[in-house]
Amino acid sequence: MRKEWIARSVVLVLVAAAITVPVAAWLARSRGIVMHARMAETGGWTPESLTVEVGQPLHLRLTSDDVMHSFAIGKSDEPPVDVIPGEITEVTLTFDEPGKYTFYCTRWCSVNHWRMRGTIEVTGPEAAAEAVEPPLYVTLGLDIDAEHHADVIPERKPSASLGAQLGADIPSEYQSREYYRSHSPAELWKALRAESSLSGLSDQEVWDLVAFVWQSNTTPQDLSVGQQLYTTNCAACHGETGAGDGVFADELDQPKTGEHAGMQTGEMTTAPTDFTEPEHVLAASPAHLQGKILRGGMGTGMPYWGPIFTEEQTWALVAYLWTFQFELEDGP
Amino acid sequence: MGGAEVNKLQGAMWKERFLTGESERSSSRWLGLPERIDLYRIPWIRPLLYSRWPQFLARALTLAGFIFTITAGLLGSRVGSHNFAIIFVWIAWWTALKLAFIPLGGRSWCSVCPIPLPGEWLQQGGIFENSRGRFGLNLRWPKRLKGSWLQSGGFLLIGLFSAVTLTDARVTAWVLLGLFGLAIVLSLVVERRAFCSYICPIGGFTGIYAKTAPVEVRVIDTAICAAHREKTCYQSCPWGLYPLALRDSAQCGLCMECLRACPSDNIAVNLRPFGTDLAAERRGSRSPGRLDEAFLALVMLGSALAFSAVFTGPWGALKAAAFAIGSPAWLLYGLGFLILNLAVLPGAFATAVWAGQRWSGAKAQLRSAVAEQSQVLLPLGLFAWIAFTISFAFPKMNYVLSVISDPLGWGWNLLGTANTTWSPDVSGFSPGLQVALLLVGLAWSASVAKRLAMTNTGRALRQMLPGLAFCLAFSLAMLWLLVG
Amino acid sequence: MRESSSRWLRGWRWAALASLALLALFLPLPVNATTPVERTFHIQASQFAYTPAVLAVNPGDRVTIELLATDVVHGLSIDGYELEATADPGQTARLTFVADRQGSFRFRCTVTCGNLHPFMIGKLQVGQNALLWRGALLSALVVVAGLWGARK
Repeated sequence: MRKEWIARSVVLVLVAAAITVPVAAWLARSRGIVMHARMAETGGWTPESLTVEVGQPLHLRLTSDDVMHSFAIGKSDEPPVDVIPGEITEVTLTFDEPGKYTFYCTRWCSVNHWRMRGTIEVTGPEAAAEAVEPPLYVTLGLDIDAEHHADVIPERKPSASLGAQLGADIPSEYQSREYYRSHSPAELWKALRAESSLSGLSDQEVWDLVAFVWQSNTTPQDLSVGQQLYTTNCAACHGETGAGDGVFADELDQPKTGEHAGMQTGEMTTAPTDFTEPEHVLAASPAHLQGKILRGGMGTGMPYWGPIFTEEQTWALVAYLWTFQFELEDGP
Repeated sequence: MGGAEVNKLQGAMWKERFLTGESERSSSRWLGLPERIDLYRIPWIRPLLYSRWPQFLARALTLAGFIFTITAGLLGSRVGSHNFAIIFVWIAWWTALKLAFIPLGGRSWCSVCPIPLPGEWLQQGGIFENSRGRFGLNLRWPKRLKGSWLQSGGFLLIGLFSAVTLTDARVTAWVLLGLFGLAIVLSLVVERRAFCSYICPIGGFTGIYAKTAPVEVRVIDTAICAAHREKTCYQSCPWGLYPLALRDSAQCGLCMECLRACPSDNIAVNLRPFGTDLAAERRGSRSPGRLDEAFLALVMLGSALAFSAVFTGPWGALKAAAFAIGSPAWLLYGLGFLILNLAVLPGAFATAVWAGQRWSGAKAQLRSAVAEQSQVLLPLGLFAWIAFTISFAFPKMNYVLSVISDPLGWGWNLLGTANTTWSPDVSGFSPGLQVALLLVGLAWSASVAKRLAMTNTGRALRQMLPGLAFCLAFSLAMLWLLVG
Repeated sequence: MRESSSRWLRGWRWAALASLALLALFLPLPVNATTPVERTFHIQASQFAYTPAVLAVNPGDRVTIELLATDVVHGLSIDGYELEATADPGQTARLTFVADRQGSFRFRCTVTCGNLHPFMIGKLQVGQNALLWRGALLSALVVVAGLWGARK
């Protein structure tokens, strides 16, 4: 009889351990912050919003429940951290300034990847209210949804180096940063075409000048940063060659497929813009492009990057987009 | 078992000495080894089998492991490759089952399997109690549901839902929980280990392949049994078997209760040559095959083909179809799977048997010929499954190590192995090994076919060839799927 | 006399079978000599398939695989070659190697991409699949061996 009770105790102890260890760990775990990442269609980030005080370290343990994701804070220098299925990655964040920060996924995980965002509310003594400047397109009063197309387009891709070689005398008002940002290449071409000192040049050569002016308003550093941003954030829809043929392009082309391509919000989407197509792109100013990037598209499925990119990053990305229209590399 | 039935058995068998295949010229004879080695007489093994403690400790551990598996499946990471439930059930345990427990030990897993234990302990009224049917309704299992038909059906169900079950930790956990609950409920209603004998799909194929395995439990001297009135061995067997009548090892779960109960120490646990139960002679005539076992053997072949195609093949559309349960694509997949297992393979095999019978002029009925000759399919299927398991599981062995340290996918590192990325270099030896295994299975099947054919008719070759063509075709298909 | 001659015959037929088996194992397969070329494959990776999933090249070819992920991050590694590539959607990954080993090699996804990730498999066929042919031939021989070797 004694051995029967010993046996029963052994079973009870082992089975109890088998149950309580995972359950206890499961309960204990919800005390720390474990951030679960899922594709936007199945939940996105859980929890979606966090609160922390200024200067207080926020310790996160990140894991993915389905596919590869990564975690980054918008407008921040913090490098992105991979969030790996079934594994835990740890990150500690400390914020110096109060405010609302956006965290987001940086590795494409579905067509709705860009919707995978959450917020971190950092509380603290109210800093002096910073004057928030509206983006340039608002200041200029641009309607970035309006139809735009260039009357004249170049025969071949304009080259900035050829434009430089022309040694033409371009009036300084056209070379300023303000001009660059608020005018489209097509407008500059028209203006230059009307200049009497440049009347000896061919139409194509004037386009080369335009490309040269564009290049002079960017740096190789900008282009490199812009390319990095484009590859990570834009190429999946707009295509690696900028032709609007990215891997998700077909899903987004709802007028063509005639159905809602499983978008969470039930919004309409359209095919991504083809940046290699000169008629539309040359008629847009950098401010216009910046506006689209910051605000997103209304009824097009274009994400809004306002909370994510800093102003410098946005201009760098815009600078890179022009490489689909112009040859902006140095050298012949 | 009533007294009248026991007397009938006694009358039929008391004068005969139960043949242990001494007339067979087997490989062990050839090697100079005795035909059977009784493990129970070996001094250091005996106490391990006689005492209930070693077996109990093994069972307690598997039971705890099983409960932990279910808990991990329900609570842990949903990423299958980092969840103990998926890795330990479908990689670790499955590999151990196919590569060790079954080929070397027959139904040895059944002796430590945790699923029937709570029910059995309830039935007995204790863990070390030996009475059967103390609690519960103890109803007889309906005759119509006897045999392995339900087990075949269960295995086909597994095949239909395999893509999801094998990859989703929650689903695995619920399936295990379901089986667990079913076993407990059945134990309170039906007699003994009816779940294990007639429902558990694992038990089904473990049983038929146990016939090829080198372990058996048999009585030693039938005269002693004839003189024994009480038949305590039968009283104590949780599987409802009568050891004296054991012809093959398909139903015996190696629990050793009969050994402990026999007052004359007349039962042996024999190490025996491989495949002894196949085409075995019993008192001058072949043991008749069973049609349900034939069907199960064919289902195992069809499932081996299907699983190989779905899990180790390059056909993404097939995998997607198998995964999208409920979709039209899945219905197509299911239909194809069922047609293969219910029509194509049974039809092809029956045709081969029929052709062999006609060609050789054998007289037996098709039904019993198919049942008898299905034994040929057992080594074939066993080795096909071993080869498939190697192809399927070996590239993922590193997950076993990492999941031991982090069973729930929560970033633990209990034993320091959580980040194991090393995996055995499968491309080196694995394909060759799989081919070798398929060849062994095929050779063995051919030898069983010959043994069967030799006593049935003089024109043995004619009878065997169509069946062997079937086996060869199956082997070529497996070859192509696994290493092609 | 008869007994010994039938044993003699049996010995000989086993020897013949063994020689055939050795041939099947070691005889080099007839090879169409091909000049190695450069080949490029554009593979689209989605959950849970590669398109195309079966690549056929000749031994010695210099193979470039351009991996394009179409829904989530995928990877690719080839059994038997120490190579790996990871592709995010929008970022084509490239892998270049010389297919010097003959046979059939499976390539697998290396970044967890969902439930069926461990079964996301493709095949690289370099030249002839000697193992398959030898296995098939040996299967036939093995059936014969089993027939002869069966004891009553």
